[in-house]
Amino acid sequence: MNPMEEMRREEEKLLRTDRLPHVWCPGCGIGITLNAFLRAFIRSKMDPNKLVVVSGIGCTGRAAGYVNVDSFHTTHGRGIPFAVGIKFARPDLNVVVFSGDGDLFAIGGNHFVNAARRNHDLLIIAVNNFTYGMTGGQHGPTTPTGAYTTTTPYGNPDRPFNIPHLAISLGAPYVARWTTYHVNQLQNSIYHALHKKGFRVIEVISQCPTVYGRRNDMKTPLEMMHYFQKNSVRKDDASFEELELKYNGKIVVGVFRDIQGIPTYEERYEDIIRRARK
Amino acid sequence: MSEQNTKSLKKRGKVTIDEKRCKGCWYCIEYCPTKVLQVSEHLNEKGYHPPKLVEEPPNKVCIACHLCELYCPDFAIVVEEIK
Ligand SMILES: Cc1ncc(C[n+]2csc(CCOP(=O)(O)OP(=O)(O)O)c2C)c(N)n1
Ligand code: SF4
Ligand SMILES: [Mg+2]
Repeated sequence: MNPMEEMRREEEKLLRTDRLPHVWCPGCGIGITLNAFLRAFIRSKMDPNKLVVVSGIGCTGRAAGYVNVDSFHTTHGRGIPFAVGIKFARPDLNVVVFSGDGDLFAIGGNHFVNAARRNHDLLIIAVNNFTYGMTGGQHGPTTPTGAYTTTTPYGNPDRPFNIPHLAISLGAPYVARWTTYHVNQLQNSIYHALHKKGFRVIEVISQCPTVYGRRNDMKTPLEMMHYFQKNSVRKDDASFEELELKYNGKIVVGVFRDIQGIPTYEERYEDIIRRARK
Repeated sequence: MSEQNTKSLKKRGKVTIDEKRCKGCWYCIEYCPTKVLQVSEHLNEKGYHPPKLVEEPPNKVCIACHLCELYCPDFAIVVEEIK
């Protein structure tokens, strides 16, 4: 069989097809991201019995319920600490956190910064749709300044997190950003990150036409996709300013950090156990 | 054009749409490089218009690039290469 057909067949096995169609709205980018993740995983030929997908709460958090591997839908913001626990108990497992911007950077923000600082061996797929999709489109910590949401009817006064820069500043060994328009690059990036160790962060700029797009002149899924298509620029050595996401501005994508050799928390901990037993 | 590119253009594919899963975002229609998909007139059981194949081969043919499959947020498209 041709490899792409084989992949599609394998993908069906990694999905809980009995639960499809999924809950995500027409054109929601979460499905595209999950598709890219599953394909990257299949390409890696890693053992699905050793994959764990952990999500928090939110539309993105529902991903844990659609994968046919061990998964856990944690309470809001607690995807990372839960994943840290799994990795501690079973260092042989491949633990992936698949969650939304509100979940990972608002209520779960402190978990993110501390897990990154300690370089826990986790792959974080952060779906950033600039809003709290599930609860009706409130502004959150990644909403661009000036954007209209249910809680910022006159435009958002806050400055959003610069996620790649935040992750880099905490020493994360692999940091990338793509949009859901970059289906191939995103899949390749996840594939490479799956083979690396440490706290790997992939930010996926995604569309929520239903509650974000419609308040910001992008009512249809295609209008949001066109925005990503027209405004994305690849620049791997982007500066802090370039990585900042401005309302309706350019989206700098790329792999901003990809280094090896930093010991993970799990490795350092094992070393301590070894020394203590001597 | 490189040999590989000419080869991929010679590939032919068969697109199958799982209408039950489709939610009518139409990314597949937009991003098909050879424009073999279009909006259908009928609705699926959820009330969306799934894509359907245009009826004018041999001018418009699927080149088995699989892009529609990658863009589909609903796991609703399968492309098979026809020999
Ligand atoms: C402790 C707690 N506080 C608040 C909520 C309400 N809540 C549910 S989802 C959500 C935000 C989700 O946003 P995000 O992670 O960006 O996911 P999205 O829906 O955008 O994919 C909030 C605040 C909750 N479920 N639990
Ligand atoms: S509300 Fe937004 S994020 Fe949630 S499923 Fe719909 S489009 Fe996706
Ligand atoms: Mg969100």
